[in-house]
Amino acid sequence: MTDTFLTKAKLRPKGHFYEEFELGQVFEHHWGRTLNESDNSLFSTLTIQANPLYFNAEFAKAHGHKGIVLNPMIVFGTVFGLSVEDLSEAGGAFLGVDDLTFEGHVYPDDTLTACSEVINKRESEKNPDVGIVTWHTQGFNQKGERIIEFKRTNMVSKKGAGIL
Amino acid sequence: MNVSALTGNDNYFEDFTPGEVIKHARGKTVSELENVLITNLVMNTAQGHFNEHIMEKTRFGKRITFGGCTASLIIGLASQDTSENALAELGLDKIRFKVPVCHDDTLYAYTEVLAVRDADREDAGEVHFKHWGVNQNNDVVFEGERRTLVKRRSHWGNQ
Repeated sequence: MTDTFLTKAKLRPKGHFYEEFELGQVFEHHWGRTLNESDNSLFSTLTIQANPLYFNAEFAKAHGHKGIVLNPMIVFGTVFGLSVEDLSEAGGAFLGVDDLTFEGHVYPDDTLTACSEVINKRESEKNPDVGIVTWHTQGFNQKGERIIEFKRTNMVSKKGAGIL
Repeated sequence: MNVSALTGNDNYFEDFTPGEVIKHARGKTVSELENVLITNLVMNTAQGHFNEHIMEKTRFGKRITFGGCTASLIIGLASQDTSENALAELGLDKIRFKVPVCHDDTLYAYTEVLAVRDADREDAGEVHFKHWGVNQNNDVVFEGERRTLVKRRSHWGNQ
């Protein structure tokens, strides 16, 4: 006998399809994330980062910092990650990033939040199942200071296209 | 602390010449350790990076590595030669993901020095790099530009 929960359950889908994006639309992304020292050390060593600012506290202090500096790539990754459910989880290739600026240093125990605005959308010439969307994404620390901004472009699945 | 003893002496601002192209010494084979861990660590919720079962039904047939992971690995592999003596990362531009990266692909990094210029502080200068990431077949999987603030040996070489 089939378990009844399997037939009764209704899927709660995540993400937005191409048709749902409008120029100028703004998303305040969910969750936020406090990045701690172990997040940063793991990320920096795993990606074979060689600048001691990101894993040697005494070295960082000798450069005028209060301690270890967060690797800018985990800052980028986290601000990006927080934006995914709103922007790109429905499926479609991540094509690129332009005009990314790191605006000052970020430190362990800083809390990041993210928001994005739709700045371009167009049909794909090659694939009728997707459109191409560009967002301006910004990341902030707990003081409300902007610490990163960039423009991200993705293919985005259209409704019913069934791609990932 | 003898700061300059902890990093190399061939990668200060004075050492970078526009047009120079560098092949970085180490590659890294991408596995779940990089892709799934980094994807989940940064809270990227796109399950195409961490749900093998659902990806088996797609044209890829398996999980695709998160582009942010690929970019971080290429910049990491390039970092000893380009930014071991950097004071800050300034920005990225023209980042493009050309070919999907899957688990067990091996990535290598290449760099061209595009430009060097004075910064608004006298102890460092700005270096503009172009990076490429290639897989084991020399397919270009990643390319992009990066601006970094690099120490001058004249100020930091004996600190």
